[in-house]
Amino acid sequence: MKHVFQKLALLAMAVSITLSAQATTPEEDLAAFRNFFKNRFPDVPMEEYTNGVYAIDPIGRENWEAIEEFPPYEPFIDEGQAMWENPFANGKSYQDCFPEGPAMESQFPYWDKQQGMVITLPLAINQCREANGEKPLKYKKGPINNILSYIAFESRGQTTNVEIPTEDPKALAAYESGKKFYYTRRGQLNFSCATCHLQNAGMRIRSDILSPALGHTTHWPVYRSKWGTVGTLHRRFSGCNKQVRAKPFKAQGEEYRNLEYFLTYMNNGLPLNGPGARK
Amino acid sequence: MRIKSFLRFTIAALLLGASLAPIMAADASDPNIAKAQQMIEKAEAARKQAASVDGEWRETAAMIEQAKSELTKGEVAASMKLAAEAHKQGVLGYQQAVSQRELKMPSYLHY
Repeated sequence: MKHVFQKLALLAMAVSITLSAQATTPEEDLAAFRNFFKNRFPDVPMEEYTNGVYAIDPIGRENWEAIEEFPPYEPFIDEGQAMWENPFANGKSYQDCFPEGPAMESQFPYWDKQQGMVITLPLAINQCREANGEKPLKYKKGPINNILSYIAFESRGQTTNVEIPTEDPKALAAYESGKKFYYTRRGQLNFSCATCHLQNAGMRIRSDILSPALGHTTHWPVYRSKWGTVGTLHRRFSGCNKQVRAKPFKAQGEEYRNLEYFLTYMNNGLPLNGPGARK
Repeated sequence: MRIKSFLRFTIAALLLGASLAPIMAADASDPNIAKAQQMIEKAEAARKQAASVDGEWRETAAMIEQAKSELTKGEVAASMKLAAEAHKQGVLGYQQAVSQRELKMPSYLHY
């Protein structure tokens, strides 16, 4: 009898391990992701997560609210507006690539079946530039942040809505690749993105509080006090990888675009509120 | 013309000799030069292997370059130390990436 119970127990363990290794759907991933933060920070309303660490750091929030009275990203918005309004050398402008106008950030990132890849907003901006005979902008620093700031500002209030088209299995593969990246440990410190921004969200790393992953993509580009300027999401991805002592990947390369696809999907339903200001 | 060619050759030879002087000077007294060079090559191979599985760490390539620089300056021991550390990082980076090949969702996420 004891033997039978032991065998049944082993079988149950094997089944549970197998179940945990089975593929989950994006909807299931989103639900588990949300529930984690609901349990972790039960008093934080969902929409507050768009404010990043300031949703859970009351002292930092006071400083941040003071900064937001004279936002340091404002000059970048103005520069970005000028970029949007000034035509390219060939007479065309960004408006010709994006006829719906600058308030279109919620359309990104998206899966492009024809190109067979995730298209992010910075990538689309450079595709527009190159199609009109202009040099592409660098993806981490410089004027890309101006036009992204303008677009983000004009898009405030729009709702994050990343879709994973079911008719193209490559789209789901890109999402899964981004998800794999997010949960993979890397670098000499052996951390995954989830180590800091899920498992240890709200804990301190030296003098800083680790921000929750929920809401991470709503407020880019960001003026970081550390940078003394506005920078892109992929610049932050690169910085985070370097901080765990991993060699970073290329900004707007496949790895980071798929990561952005996954992470933005996890923020579906949250309002966009970029550009942002952070420590 | 022949004098110009001769002068160019002489200057080139003098410059080449000057750049090799530390190694050649070290060569005379330190039998570990060849070992250091082998260690650098081994470290580079380990770095490439880690990179092949997206497991390269931040410092590895810079350490290898620094090991080469130290060797050029005749600092053989420093070069070997850096090469050894870089090799270790390459090996560990590869093992880490391979161990992470299969996606394992963390237990704190409840489905």
